[in-house]
Amino acid sequence: MLAAQALASAAFHDGYYGVAFPFFGAERRGAPVLAFARIDREKIYQKTQIYEPDCVVVLDDKLVDLVNVAEGLKQDGIAIINSSKKPDEIELEREAKVAVVDATTIALEVLGTPITNSAMLGAFAKATGIISMDALEKGIMDIFGPRIGVERAKRNIEAAKKAYESTDIGVCKGGRMFEKGKKWLPNWDELPIGLATRALKTDVGLVGIGSFVENKTGTWRTFRPVINKEKCVNCLLCWFYCPDGAIKRVSDGVEVDYDYCKGCGICANECPVKAITMVR
Amino acid sequence: MMTIKDLPLEDYFTSGHTACPGCGPAILAKVIMKVFGKNTVIYTPANCLLVFGGTYPYLAWKVPYHHVAFENTAVCIAGIRRALKRMGRDDVHVIGIAGDGGTADIGIQALSGAAERNEDVIYIMYDNEAYMNTGIQRSSSTPYGAWTTTTPVGKVRAGKTEFKKDVPRIMIAHNVPYVATACISFPNDLLAKLEKAKRIRGFRYLQILAPCPTGWRFPPEKTIEVGRLAVETGMWTLYEYENGVMRINHKPKMIPVEEYLKLQGRFRHLSEEDVKRIQDYVKRKWESDLALCRAYGGCE
Repeated sequence: MLAAQALASAAFHDGYYGVAFPFFGAERRGAPVLAFARIDREKIYQKTQIYEPDCVVVLDDKLVDLVNVAEGLKQDGIAIINSSKKPDEIELEREAKVAVVDATTIALEVLGTPITNSAMLGAFAKATGIISMDALEKGIMDIFGPRIGVERAKRNIEAAKKAYESTDIGVCKGGRMFEKGKKWLPNWDELPIGLATRALKTDVGLVGIGSFVENKTGTWRTFRPVINKEKCVNCLLCWFYCPDGAIKRVSDGVEVDYDYCKGCGICANECPVKAITMVR
Repeated sequence: MMTIKDLPLEDYFTSGHTACPGCGPAILAKVIMKVFGKNTVIYTPANCLLVFGGTYPYLAWKVPYHHVAFENTAVCIAGIRRALKRMGRDDVHVIGIAGDGGTADIGIQALSGAAERNEDVIYIMYDNEAYMNTGIQRSSSTPYGAWTTTTPVGKVRAGKTEFKKDVPRIMIAHNVPYVATACISFPNDLLAKLEKAKRIRGFRYLQILAPCPTGWRFPPEKTIEVGRLAVETGMWTLYEYENGVMRINHKPKMIPVEEYLKLQGRFRHLSEEDVKRIQDYVKRKWESDLALCRAYGGCE
């Protein structure tokens, strides 16, 4: 969201009009979210979500496996993807122009956290040529500066520059199939009174109480905890403290359930014998 | 006394919920359900827990679960409890879990009423010290000096100018059977209090500090560490009030508050004078907690 705002702000500095806004779902920090930006030489009156973009920026390459990111992308459009792969190793729904940058590594090096938005803006500037690096620097400072302070905004500019220099442009493979998003849409006579949700098994999965187990939150993760069984003293603190119930008690201690682990790192931070390390 | 090792394997608040990584309230919800188990009815008003614990038609709760309006927590759980009693189900625990905004601000009249009538319910306030669900607005439970989107840091003012409302003492003033404060970073103390709340009948109020990495601006792996420092600096006191007797459960080490404040981005702007003011507040808070404890016969 900040990235979209910084992009729109950068557009102003290059003499464009720019509009940016996020799509708010019920998800929390770390969950996949959407933000939109429009840039034009003319005044922008259209304020809707963008369904046929000229450019898609994907901040996390795990999304490429889960979501059809090329959906609606214009024929001559470009997908800019945070990935350590080469452009021709990326597989989307169809062949398309792609720009690839390893923004997670850059963000970790420059910022110390895996927040990739500023680096991805650098890749955008390189891949599209719409916005100059000069304008982007000003845009990042406009939006990030008041939020996180000038010093940290400067480091974000550095991340953007680094990404600008290492962005790789090419063409990706096509032919990947995606399932359409499935939803539980009951008829009126199937809906329980008062919209109460009983535990039901529907043809699109569980609904009702306990049904969130089918929501695998492991995709949010950047770092994953690894338990050294030899050091573990089975104190169960990690099991107690895990916000996601992703640490399971087993007969000989504890195990991580990577389907749900969001990689927060509480377990590694709290382990009294340092038996847990976070690895990428 | 229950310890971590005695907790059941089964989660009645399941994985797959959509809380931020490192969420304190998510830990609390999981632990509450481990202690109370299957024979429980849960109510939450509008708060983060409502949103990350369920998006219609999906739910992380594996027990009957209700949501009505923001201000109604105490009155709804009282109603559910009375209906269950009418049905002859005295074995069911009815728990309302509200945030600090839904308790200290919006829900306080219903809370006061239900407490005064001594309804047979458990009211748990998970205290993350602001309206986090709507994007970090200050509540009356937000501490002095903290940045929120409605107490921004500017040239004239920086952060909240008022101190935290002391809701547990308001509840003690209602003279209910059980009032307790706890923190997710002190597992044994927390489990003992939840277990006690499960056993006692009548109105039970628990206020549990659950740090929020997103709103307090600290890295997600520090949630427990921040909670521990809140207690050890004296920002948050662990005590309980049971049938007219108050006990302090943990004597804080009284580490300088700076150690707690500097971990969190929401306090980054504080001046030396502000830090001193908070240190004075902590000293006064501890002395008055101690005095109250003496007055209620639990401390020498």
